[in-house]
Amino acid sequence: MKFKFFGNVIGTSSFLLASVTSLHAQSDNILASISNDLNRFNTVATITKQNEHYQPYIISVFKGKELETLGVSNLKEALHLVPGIDFATDNYNNQTPIFRGSNSLAYGQTKLFIDDIVVNNLFFDSYSEYLGMPIEMIKRIEVVRGPGSKTNGVNAYAGSINIITYAEDFKDFESKDKMVFKYASQDYRMAGFIKKFKTENLQATVDFYYQDDNKRLQAGPDGYSQGSMSYQKPAGSGTYIYDNRGFSQNGDAPVWEKDYSLSLNLKYKDFTLKGRSLDHTQGSAYGINLSLPQNNDRLKLPSHYLELGYNKDINNFHLDIKAGVKLDSFDSKAKLAPSGMSFMDVPNVVNGTANDIDRVLFANGIFGEHLAKQRTLYHSTYVTYKGADKHIITAGYRLLEEKTIDMVSKLSSWSTGDAALVDYTVTYPFFNKNAKRDIQILSLQDEFQYNNKINFIYGFNYEQTSYEDAGFEPRVSMVYQQNLNNIFKAIYSRAHRNPSWQEMFTANNNASIGSTDLKPEKVDAYELAYIRKFSRDTYLQTNVFYLQNKDQISNSAKNASYRNIVDTDIRGVELEYSGNITSSDKLYLNYSFITGSSKTTDTGMTSSLTNVPQHLAKGYYIYNLNNALSLSGIVKHVGSKERIDGDYRNKVDDYTTLDTTMTYNNHKNDYALSFSVKNIFDADVKYPSKPNTYIEDYTQEGRKFLLTIRKEF
Amino acid sequence: MKKILFLYLTLVNIVFAYNYDDVILKAQASIFPKIILLDKKIEDKLIDGKIIYTIVYNKDDYLTALSIEKFIDKNFQGQLDKYDYKINLVEFENFSLKTEASAIYVLNQSDQIENIATMAREKGIISFSYDINNLKKGLMFSLVIEKSTVLYLKKEILFTKKIEFVDALLQMVRFVEKDYSYQNDKNFQNRLNSRIYYASIFSR
Repeated sequence: MKFKFFGNVIGTSSFLLASVTSLHAQSDNILASISNDLNRFNTVATITKQNEHYQPYIISVFKGKELETLGVSNLKEALHLVPGIDFATDNYNNQTPIFRGSNSLAYGQTKLFIDDIVVNNLFFDSYSEYLGMPIEMIKRIEVVRGPGSKTNGVNAYAGSINIITYAEDFKDFESKDKMVFKYASQDYRMAGFIKKFKTENLQATVDFYYQDDNKRLQAGPDGYSQGSMSYQKPAGSGTYIYDNRGFSQNGDAPVWEKDYSLSLNLKYKDFTLKGRSLDHTQGSAYGINLSLPQNNDRLKLPSHYLELGYNKDINNFHLDIKAGVKLDSFDSKAKLAPSGMSFMDVPNVVNGTANDIDRVLFANGIFGEHLAKQRTLYHSTYVTYKGADKHIITAGYRLLEEKTIDMVSKLSSWSTGDAALVDYTVTYPFFNKNAKRDIQILSLQDEFQYNNKINFIYGFNYEQTSYEDAGFEPRVSMVYQQNLNNIFKAIYSRAHRNPSWQEMFTANNNASIGSTDLKPEKVDAYELAYIRKFSRDTYLQTNVFYLQNKDQISNSAKNASYRNIVDTDIRGVELEYSGNITSSDKLYLNYSFITGSSKTTDTGMTSSLTNVPQHLAKGYYIYNLNNALSLSGIVKHVGSKERIDGDYRNKVDDYTTLDTTMTYNNHKNDYALSFSVKNIFDADVKYPSKPNTYIEDYTQEGRKFLLTIRKEF
Repeated sequence: MKKILFLYLTLVNIVFAYNYDDVILKAQASIFPKIILLDKKIEDKLIDGKIIYTIVYNKDDYLTALSIEKFIDKNFQGQLDKYDYKINLVEFENFSLKTEASAIYVLNQSDQIENIATMAREKGIISFSYDINNLKKGLMFSLVIEKSTVLYLKKEILFTKKIEFVDALLQMVRFVEKDYSYQNDKNFQNRLNSRIYYASIFSR
C-alpha cells in the first residue's frame, strides 16, 4: 500500500514535473521565437530607416510608391522636396542639388549612393547623369543633410543621397515585378521594367529603363555677348584685338537627354554582386565655350560599376568586404564656336611660335571632340564587433585608385581655321591624360548605448591621398529619447571634399585651369535637432545647423585658375512636418531658413551668402478619394538669391510652382494610371549663371504634363 | 520671423490621424498571436477549444484588417502552437461583450476604443493595439519601432487576475504608465525582476 502510495506520489510528481518542464520548454520556444521576430523586424526597420528619428543624423526618407502617387517623375523631382535643397546648373547643364547653401558653384559636396555604391563621376564629382533616374526604379530615397557616417569611408561633405532600388527585399516584404511607361511634354518617352528571380540560395533583380526627350529651353544671349572668345589687350582696357561679341546668339539650348540603363543585383548566400550600366547622353546645353551649340551636339556621361561583396556574421563579429570598379567618362562632340569668328592660333601662341595678333578666320566655326575616360578601383573591409556590453565597435579601411585611362582632345585647326578636326591630344590637351590619385581611409567608430534613452556614436576617419591629405576628421553624436514623443539630437562632425578632377587636371582652357596644389574643402558642422512625435507617423522635426566651411574652391571669369579662396559660415533652421488631417490623406511640409557670410580670402572681401535662397518651402498633400482614386498636389517656393561680389545683375527672382496629379489604382489587376500637370501656373524658374556668361541666367521648364502607366506582376 | 512662428504653431496644432505602416502591421501580426500563448490562463479563454483572435477595425480599414488576417494565416497555417485558431474581423460598432474573442487586436480611427478596452478587461482577455497611444485608453500591448523594436505593456496588467503571463515575458517588455514616460522607480524595476516581485507579493 505504502509502495502504491509512494508510487502514485512519484508518478504524479513526475507527471507534474514533466508538465512544468514541458510548459517551460514550450514558453522558452515561444519567447525565443518572439525574440527572433523582434530582431528580424528590427533589422528591416533599421535598414529601411523606419527608425530614422532615432538615428544620429538629420535624415529625410521618401518612399518610391508615395512619390509615384504624387506624380514625381524622377530623382531630381524627388530631391526638390527635401528640406534645404536647391538646385544649380552650369553651361554643361550639369545639374546638382545644393544642400543648405553650401558652395553652389562646386560639385561633389554631396554624394549619391545607389544601393550603397557611390556613383559620383570622377570628372566633375557630380551625378547629374543619374538625376533623371525614373522614380519607378526607386524603392526609397534617404537624404542625410550634413556629413554622414564614418563607417563607409565616403566623405559626404554637405549631405548624401542614398537610392535604394527594388533589389532590396526582406522576408514578408517582397516587392513585385513591374513594368512602366511614361509620356510627357517635349516628347518625353520612357519604358522600363523590374524583374526578380529567386531560388533557395540565389536572389537576382534586374532593372532596365530607356528614356529620351526632345527638350529645348530658351537661352541667351550666350556668353559671347560678355566677351567669351574675345580678347582685349591690355586686359580690361576695352581695346579689343578680337571682338567676337557680335557672334552672340539667342535661341533654344539643346538640353535633351537619352538614357539606357541596365542593372543586375545578385545575392548568393553571403556574397553579393551589384552592377549597373548607364549610357547617358545629353544635348550640349549652353556650350563648353559658352556659345549656344547646335541641336545635335552632345555630351555623353556614361557610368558603369560592378561591385562584389561578402558579408558574414561570425560569432560577435560582422565582416563586410567589398571590391569594385567604376568607369565614367566625359565625352563631348560639339560645335564650340560660331561660323565666321576670328581668333588667334592659341596653341602656337602658348608655345611661343605664333603671335597673339596673328588672326585666324574660322569660317565654319570651331568643332571639338573631348574625351576623358576615368576608372576607379576600390576595396574596403569593415569589421563590426557586437560582443561588448552596450558597445558596437566598427573599424576598417577603404582604398581607392582613381585614374584617367583614356583622353582625346580634337579641335578644328587652330593654325588654318579649317573646320576639320585635328588631333591635339598630345600638343594641346584639354585634360591631363596621366591624372591619377590614390586614397587610403581608416575609420573607427563606437556606438555606445548608455541606457534606454541615450545613445552616443563617436568615431573618426583618417584620410591620406597622393595629393593634399584631409587628415583626421572626427564625428560625435548623441541621441536622447526623453520619452516616446520627444527626441533630441546633437551632432558635431568634420568632413571634407577632395578637389574634383575638373578642378585639378583641366588644362588649356581659358575658362577653367586646374591645379594639383588644391587642398580639400573642409567643413565643421554643428547640428541640433528636436523631434516631436505626435503619433507613430506624425511628427515635427526641427533642427538648427552651423557650418564653418574653409578653403572652398572657386574660380571666376577674371581668374580661371581654381583656388582655395572662399571661407563660408552658414547658419540655418529646418522644419519638417509629416502627418495627416484625416484618415484618408497625408500632409508633408518643410521650411528652411539659410543665412551666413562668405569671405573671399585672396581679396579679403566679405559678403552675404550668394546664389543661395534664404527661404525654401516645400510641401505635398495626398488625398485618397477612395481605395482607387487619389488626388495630390506639390508646392515649392524658392526664395530670391543674391549675386556674388562684382556681379551687378538683379537678384535671381524667387518662384513658386504648383504641381497636381490624379492617380487611379486598380488593386484587382495591379495597375495604376497617373496624370500630372507640373508647374501649373507656368512660373518663371531660373537657375543663376556665373557672371559674364549667360546674363539672363538658365531658364528651366515651364508648364508640362506627364502620363504614367504602371503594372505590377 | 512671425511667419515662421505662425507656421510652427499651426503645424503643432493640426489635428492628427493615422496611416498604417506595413512593417509595424506585419511585426504585430507575427508577434501578438504568440503572446497569447504566454498567458498561463490561456485555457480559460479558449472558445470551443480554439483561440479566437478578433481584429477590431473601422469600416474604412477593412482591407487592412483583411490583409492582417491573410498574413497571420500564411504564417501560422491555422495553428498557434497546439491550439487551433480562428480570426474574426469585427467592426468597431459591432463589438460587444457577446463578441467571441480570446484576444483582440485593435486598429485605429475610432472613438470607441475606450469602450472596447473596458469590455476586453471585463471579459478578461488580452488586448493588443496597433497604436501605442491607445494604451492610455485601456488596451494592454503595443509594439513600437524606436531605435529598436520594442514591446510595450501597460503596467496595470500586472494586477489583472484573469491574465497571468510567464515571467520571462515581463522581462522582455517595456512597461508604460498612463503618461507613457519610461519607468525608473525602484519598485517598478523590482517588478521587472519577477523573483523579487513575487517574493514581495507573498510576504504581504
